[in-house]
Amino acid sequence: MKRNTIVLGVTLLILAIFAWAGWANWEYRKQAAQKRADAAKLNAALATAANPEAMYTQSPLLGKQAPAFTLEDLGGKKISPADYKGKALLINFWATWCGPCKLETPWLVELEKEYGPKGFEILGVDAENDEVTPADKPAWAKDKAAVAQFVQQEHMPYPVLLYGDSISHQYGDFDAMPTSFFVDRTGKVVAMQMGITSKDDMALKIRQALGQ
Amino acid sequence: MPFPLKTSAIIAALALTLSAQTPLFRDPGSPSPKTQQVQYLYPEQVTLAAGKPQSVTLHFRIAPGLHINSHTPSDKFLIPTVFSVPQGSGVSLADTRYPLGVEYILPADPSTKLNVYTGDFAIETRLVATPGDHLVQARLRFQACDENACMPPRTIAAPIDVIAN
Repeated sequence: MKRNTIVLGVTLLILAIFAWAGWANWEYRKQAAQKRADAAKLNAALATAANPEAMYTQSPLLGKQAPAFTLEDLGGKKISPADYKGKALLINFWATWCGPCKLETPWLVELEKEYGPKGFEILGVDAENDEVTPADKPAWAKDKAAVAQFVQQEHMPYPVLLYGDSISHQYGDFDAMPTSFFVDRTGKVVAMQMGITSKDDMALKIRQALGQ
Repeated sequence: MPFPLKTSAIIAALALTLSAQTPLFRDPGSPSPKTQQVQYLYPEQVTLAAGKPQSVTLHFRIAPGLHINSHTPSDKFLIPTVFSVPQGSGVSLADTRYPLGVEYILPADPSTKLNVYTGDFAIETRLVATPGDHLVQARLRFQACDENACMPPRTIAAPIDVIAN
């Protein structure tokens, strides 16, 4: 009798352990499957034979109104896309540590000179991705100084706005830079690109935004 | 009525069979290279003499198609690769020797030369540990790019089990 009680107890314990193991395994597999699904989605975008550049030119914002925002420039002036109503805009996210961004800047300067008289403007939005916020005064001042130095070095004549990290979620949480959104005169996003292409390609997208 | 021993054995065997799926915590597969820019490879565990600096070489892998700035990038604005060990972990870094980077030229701008790491690279360190078993979450901070775009700076963990006798 005593022996059977012990056997029963051990059997129930084993069953309980395996039930827990089964549940824990199922939970882990569910999370792993979700991660694989996310990675597969990204890989599918990269591997798309029809358009290998799809990852770099597609955005959920295409065809929609560019999300509104207000950010400060280096002088503390508040600037919004709404201030440029009726103009085509290029909202260009960049960072001081981004080599391709530096490469792209002279193109932007030339394009602004060429298309500015036709109703085009560039908003350069700095997004350092370093978790520094204006509340962290010393770190913020350091970041701002670095941006100012970069702007001066690269001779950027268009507005440069700070704290782009605060609006990156609205613009799709892009994970690479430079990332540009081309906005037409009605405020609609007509094209986007992640990474650099060429000055001519950007000119094409600017003309698209201008309605040419 | 006594609980049959035979029945218990059958139940236990069935439980074993039903639960014999993929073993717990087996890695279901390596992540996509685009979602894991840099991986820490090894060592997972080292044994050191306590209190004395000893050489430990740490191995990393950069995803194909990506490069990261070396520890001495070519421009002051670029973010260098830096290895560190958290304070209070029982292990400290006496010395760090980074590999020399290789010259990398952006296809879109042949005049720009970067100093980068690609593929597999190793960082030589000299670690000092207090006696005991320390699971150290060392860190590697880096910033990766491909030919056309740069990803934000990132820090990954390089977990090392340091046993100091």
